Amino acid sequence: MHNSAVLRPITNLFGKVSGFANRNPTRMAIILGLGLYAFTVFQVPGAFSVQAISTLFMMTLLLSFASAGQTMVLIGGGMDFTVGAVMSVAAMITTSIMRGEDGRFLQAFAVCMLLGAAVGFINGVCTTKVGLPALVVTLAIGNVVTRMSYLVTAGTPVGRVGPAFASSVIYRHFGFIPSLALYALILFPLVFYILYRSRFGRQLYLVGNNPEAARLCGINVNKIKTISYMISGMLSAFTGMLGVGMLQASRNQMFDAYAYQSLIAVVVGGTSFAGGVGTYGGTIAGSMVMVMLNNMLTALNLSQRVREITLGLVLVLILVMYNRRKGVRQ
Amino acid sequence: MAQVRESFSRFRRTPAFTGFVLFTFALTLNVILQGPANFFSPNSLGILFSSNMPFLIIVIAQGVLLMSGTMDISIGIQLALVNVVTIMTVQEWGLSFVMGSLFGVAAAIVASVVLWVLISVIRLPDLLAGFAMTYVIRGVNVFIMNIPQGTVARPFWQAYSSLLLGFIPASIIALAVVLAIWAYLKRTPFGTHVYAVGANPQNAFAAGISPVKVQLQAFMIKGLFTGIAGICLTLMTASGNPLQAEDWGLRSLAAAIIGGFTFGGWGTIACAVFGAGFLVMIQNSVYFLFNWLANVIPGLMVTSFWHNFIADSIIFLGLLTTIITVRGQREALRINLEKKYMKRGESIA
Repeated sequence: MHNSAVLRPITNLFGKVSGFANRNPTRMAIILGLGLYAFTVFQVPGAFSVQAISTLFMMTLLLSFASAGQTMVLIGGGMDFTVGAVMSVAAMITTSIMRGEDGRFLQAFAVCMLLGAAVGFINGVCTTKVGLPALVVTLAIGNVVTRMSYLVTAGTPVGRVGPAFASSVIYRHFGFIPSLALYALILFPLVFYILYRSRFGRQLYLVGNNPEAARLCGINVNKIKTISYMISGMLSAFTGMLGVGMLQASRNQMFDAYAYQSLIAVVVGGTSFAGGVGTYGGTIAGSMVMVMLNNMLTALNLSQRVREITLGLVLVLILVMYNRRKGVRQ
Repeated sequence: MAQVRESFSRFRRTPAFTGFVLFTFALTLNVILQGPANFFSPNSLGILFSSNMPFLIIVIAQGVLLMSGTMDISIGIQLALVNVVTIMTVQEWGLSFVMGSLFGVAAAIVASVVLWVLISVIRLPDLLAGFAMTYVIRGVNVFIMNIPQGTVARPFWQAYSSLLLGFIPASIIALAVVLAIWAYLKRTPFGTHVYAVGANPQNAFAAGISPVKVQLQAFMIKGLFTGIAGICLTLMTASGNPLQAEDWGLRSLAAAIIGGFTFGGWGTIACAVFGAGFLVMIQNSVYFLFNWLANVIPGLMVTSFWHNFIADSIIFLGLLTTIITVRGQREALRINLEKKYMKRGESIA
């Protein structure tokens, strides 16, 4: 198609990069994330410090927790736009139940899990049994959840997290390893187990890849998808708790941005919208890319408008390298 | 009588039927709560049309894209783009408002074509491409106009909110223009190709229709309609704001789905009109309902949080009802087609 002698090296190079990205999205995402960080440090040497790296590590962990459920839902062929809303509401529940006392952690935890599971269940039923497009219905449900949070808190959430819970998230071991990593020691193996070792995980891949074949194999497709939404809801709720542990106080819609952030992190990690393809390792690397990208735009101290345009263009560039749909002629 | 029943059963099979039922429900609710005399007064009808025209038109624009099997969630911020381009070309270059609006429409078409390149040519996921474009357009908007400013000459915005012959809202002209353009397009090959491409691009391609070309046309028409909606918005607010209407992108999508569209190859412009009408009427009804409650129950304090919560919940319930009925419709349509074209024992899979 591109016969011009000038364009050919460029398209060739781009094809190579794109092929490289698609052969191993995780590796590519790690390279991309480190590249973005290297560029940031090159431009702003102050961005290279133990403190800064520790913070980036923490943000990456938080986003990768939030994206864990999203990964499962996307592998099952759905999409979960309630991640941000559930995180925000869980954060508000946590502060208003704990009110600065650690003893009430278990109550807060139980309520948040119930909330996450309930929202996930509604998502699952509406997308599978009713057959609504996942994007629109999860968005509508997320809106209702957000509106409800305004109603209950009257616009100003109260309380704050207990001090011990807060330091279990933000304390830095040896001065730089955030305590949040200890949660990762539990959550990461759990997610890896669910996706790659459990019966549910294997069924989820088949459901996403070919629902019809899965049904003929005797898998209850709707049930598997609904469970994936419920896991996503619970993981989002827990991430919301950890997030507010980091920031201490809550406000309405504080984590709404995580809906898109998690979606892009998952896609950059090589999970496809079509379902049936994807890894959690890729999602963790994708989370790092998103955190590094945001960090770069903040560190470069650009004006708001230049920042937004750059973010949009970089996102397009990343998407071009990854998640292209197949052409009609193939 | 039999004829009436026949035409009703034909109407029941059209995609717009569910949207129509929901819209009628919301309209009745609104009329009852507001009081028929208040609702049907020329002034309140005028305000109803003029303040909701931009939204109605972008739902139609979104609908055109849904027919062709794609979507644009950056359509909301594109309205703001039309708004700032129109205001700033008038203010900085000293153009007349009409010339400024032409620039505004051109900006919307350019933005749409850029998105077409991303979605149809480069084949990015439409949701994420639209998300990325939202950032880019928002940045561009602030480049063009850094803070809300500007005015529209008085005769123009006055004309927009006036009543023709004392009872026809002038803003209806914009809707008439959009519907006339669509009525023409429906008769061109595009009118049928768009459904073929939306339902199944592979089959359309095999039948000799270029999906990429049809989607380009769809995006350009969407850009034109967005431009018209943006001019309505500019006339309505009579000022410029680079960061308005952003959440209309997702709202327009919800309205289109409520009206009876699905992702690709299904739905008509009537669906968009009914879907947008439903959303607007529900918003109004909830407002009047709480006013009425505050009168009936003394001392009842209702915050806007309640309005938003009830309105969004009803929108969610509306979504649930549509899809259930859309399924029934498709089934009815399929059975009908089988009766008409298939031999005994065959079926359309």
